[in-house]
Amino acid sequence: MLVKAPQNRLDPPAIVPDSWTLVEEGPARPGLIAPFEAWLESPDGAGVWVAGDAEVEEVEAHLSEAPVIAVRFPAFADGRGLTFGKLLRTRYGYDGELRAFGEIVPDLTEYMVRCGFDAFVLANRRQAEAAIACIQRMSDHYQGSVRQPLPPYRRVAEQP
Amino acid sequence: MYQYTAFDQRFVEERVQQYRDQTRRFLGGELSDEAFQQLRLRNGLYIQRLAPMLRIAVPYGTLTATQLRALAAIARDFDKGYGHLSTRQNMQINWPELEAVPDILARLAEVQMHCIQTSGSCIRNVTTDQFAGVAADETVDARPYCEIIRQWSTYHPEFDWLPRKFKIAVNGARTDRAATHVHDIGIQIRLGEDGTPRFDFLVGGGLGRTPVVGKLIREGLAEKDLLTYLEAILRVYNRYGRRDNKYKARIKILVRALTPEKFRELVDAEWENLRDGPTQLPGSEVIRIRDHFKAPPYEKLPDEGALLASQRLRNPAFNAWMQHNVSPHIRPGYAIVTLSTKATGVPPGDVTDEQMDAVAAWSERFGFGEIRISHEQNLVLPDVPQRELTTLFDLACNEMLGQANAGLLTDVVCCPGGDFCALANAKSIPIAEAIQRRFDDYDYLHDLGPIDLNISGCMNACGHHHVGHIGILGVDKRGEEFYQVSIGGNQADDASLGQILGPAFSRAEIPSVIERILDVFVERRDDGEIFLQTVRRIGVEPFKQRVYSDAPAVRVRSSRPKTVATRIRSAGTSPVSRARKTARAG
Repeated sequence: MLVKAPQNRLDPPAIVPDSWTLVEEGPARPGLIAPFEAWLESPDGAGVWVAGDAEVEEVEAHLSEAPVIAVRFPAFADGRGLTFGKLLRTRYGYDGELRAFGEIVPDLTEYMVRCGFDAFVLANRRQAEAAIACIQRMSDHYQGSVRQPLPPYRRVAEQP
Repeated sequence: MYQYTAFDQRFVEERVQQYRDQTRRFLGGELSDEAFQQLRLRNGLYIQRLAPMLRIAVPYGTLTATQLRALAAIARDFDKGYGHLSTRQNMQINWPELEAVPDILARLAEVQMHCIQTSGSCIRNVTTDQFAGVAADETVDARPYCEIIRQWSTYHPEFDWLPRKFKIAVNGARTDRAATHVHDIGIQIRLGEDGTPRFDFLVGGGLGRTPVVGKLIREGLAEKDLLTYLEAILRVYNRYGRRDNKYKARIKILVRALTPEKFRELVDAEWENLRDGPTQLPGSEVIRIRDHFKAPPYEKLPDEGALLASQRLRNPAFNAWMQHNVSPHIRPGYAIVTLSTKATGVPPGDVTDEQMDAVAAWSERFGFGEIRISHEQNLVLPDVPQRELTTLFDLACNEMLGQANAGLLTDVVCCPGGDFCALANAKSIPIAEAIQRRFDDYDYLHDLGPIDLNISGCMNACGHHHVGHIGILGVDKRGEEFYQVSIGGNQADDASLGQILGPAFSRAEIPSVIERILDVFVERRDDGEIFLQTVRRIGVEPFKQRVYSDAPAVRVRSSRPKTVATRIRSAGTSPVSRARKTARAG
C-alpha cells in the first residue's frame, strides 16, 4: 500500500495506486524498481532501489536521473536511511520520488518526510491510514526539514 | 528557568496525543510488541522486573516548585508515594499502569514537562552541573546552551533512530560537576581570549561494558557553530556506528575503531558542509534563550560569615552539614544547599511525595521556587540566604533530608539494581544500605573526607561504578550474586577509571572489604590527602594485599568525639520514614 506525501505540502498525504513494481533482482526494465547494479546496466524507464546503509557519495552521481529512488529500511529502528535521504535531497539535489520501503512502522514516516521522503510502502491499508495520521500529527518541529530548511528560530529572526 | 513558549506548549500537547494514539494502537493489536517497545522506550517507559517504570525528563536537572509538586502528586496517584532521582538528573516512578501513562503525560504537559527521549536509542536528556548559574566557580552559565541542545535534539528528524543511546553533558564551571569525560559527547564551555564563549568537544567517553574517557576532538568552537558541529558528529555516528551488536554500538566503539584522529577528520569534513547551513545558531536565538535564565531578584545581603561561624560553633551537626552540604554562591549572602537523599536504610535517590512537597515549599521560602537534581541523586536548593541556613537545616533533618554526607562515603550513588531492574545481575540497594549501616559514625566519615562510592547492579553501569573512588559492580556467577570492587576511579576534571582489585566478593563480605580498603587509606595517607590521592600515589597493590589477606579488619578510628552522629541518627525515626515503610510494604 503506497502513501504519498508530496514535499510541496500543498497536497495532503494520501493512499495512491502504485505504478511501480519492486524487484529483488535484475534485469531492470521500464516500470520496475531494480537493485542499483542492475539499474546501472539499463536505467531507461526504470526506478532504482538501494540499501539504507549505502554510501550516498558513491551512488548519487548516477542517481540524479532516476524517476524514483527507493531506500530499504532493514529494521524499524535503523535510522541510516534517514541520513541517506537527507543528503540525497539537500546535498545532491535529487528531486524525483524518494520512497521508503522495508520495515516501515507508520510512526517513522513523520521523520522520513522531514528527511525528504515523499512515498512510503506500508504493509496494509490500516498501516497506511495510520501513517497518514502520523505524518500530520505534529504541526511543527524544533528543527528545519528538507522542505522547510530553516529551524523556527531562524524563520523568526530572518523575517524582515 | 526556561518557560515554555506557545510553540513548546503546543509541541508537548501534540506529543501527549501522539503517545495516547500509540498506546491505543498497541492495546488494539495494531502495533506489534516490538514496534511499541521502540515507541514506549522513546517515551521513557520500561517494562521492569515487577512493573513498568516511567522516566520523566528533568531537563539538565532543573525544576520549579510547581513542577516538583506535580511530580509529588503523580508519585502519590500513580506510584506508591515516592520517586527515584536517577544518575542523569531525571525522576523515575515505578508501578504506573501502561494504560495510565498517557494521562500522566497530560499531567506533566500541564506543568511544562514530558518524558520525551528519556530512553531508547536516541539523544537523551542533556545534563549539566547542578550548580549551573549560581556556582562561585562558574565561567559560563551552561543552562541556555543545554536548553538550545534540548530543543535541537527533540524529535530530530535524522538522529532519533541511532545505533544506541546518546548522552550529552555540558559544563561551564572550573570544576567539572557534569562528568563530561564519560559521556558520548562532553562539552566544556569557557571564555575565549576575545571574551566570547568557546566550546571544547570531548567525544566517545562512556561507562557500561567498555569504560572509556572521552577524547578531545575540537577546541574553541564558536557559539554559532555549536549545533552544526553536533550535527556533524551525530551524522558520522548515525552512518557508521555499529548496529550488529548492541554492546559495540556506542560512539566510543566507533571512535576507537576509527582512531580519534580519523573520527575527527570525518566530522570535520562533514562539518564543512554544514557550518554555514540553516542550523547555524544566530546570536539572537542565544539571547532569546538566555533571557529565560536571567538572575532572579536577589536581595543585597551582607555576607553572614560571622553569624554562621558562631552557629557552627554552637551546633556540631550544623557545622558538619555546612562543611559538606553547603557550597559557595555567586552572590554575597547566599548559599547553595545540597539536600542529601542518602539516609541509611533508604534506597539512594528515593524521595517520598511528602519530601517533594516539603522541598517545593522550602524552595519558595528560601529561594525563588527553583530546585535542582544532581547526578549524585540529591536535591539542591540553589538560592538560600545564609541567614536562613540553620532554619532550613532543622526542617531538612525532620524530613530525613538533612544528612551531612554530601560527597562522603555514605553519599552512595546507586542504580535501582536487582530489586527493580530487569537488566541487573545483582541487587545494589542492599549493598548501599549495608555499607551505610557499617559506617554510621559521622566523625569517622568526616575524618575520611570526600569519597565517591558508586554501585551498579550490572555492566550497564547506571551507578557509574567505573568512576567511583570506590566502585562496586554486581556480577552473576552461576546464578549467585557477587560483587567486584575497584578503586581509583574519578568523574571530575582529571577523570580516571577504577582498577579492579581482584576476584569478586559475596554480598556479606562487602562491608568488611570496604573497611579494609579504608584502613589502608587511613594508615598510609599523607597530611591533607583525600582517598583518591592516596590511591593514585601508592597504587592499588597495598589495598589488594590487605583485602585478600586473611587477617581480620581493624578499623582505624578517629579520636574526635561523637557528637554529630547522635543528632543525625535521631532523624531516622521521623514520620517520613515510617510512612515510607508503610508505602513500600503495600
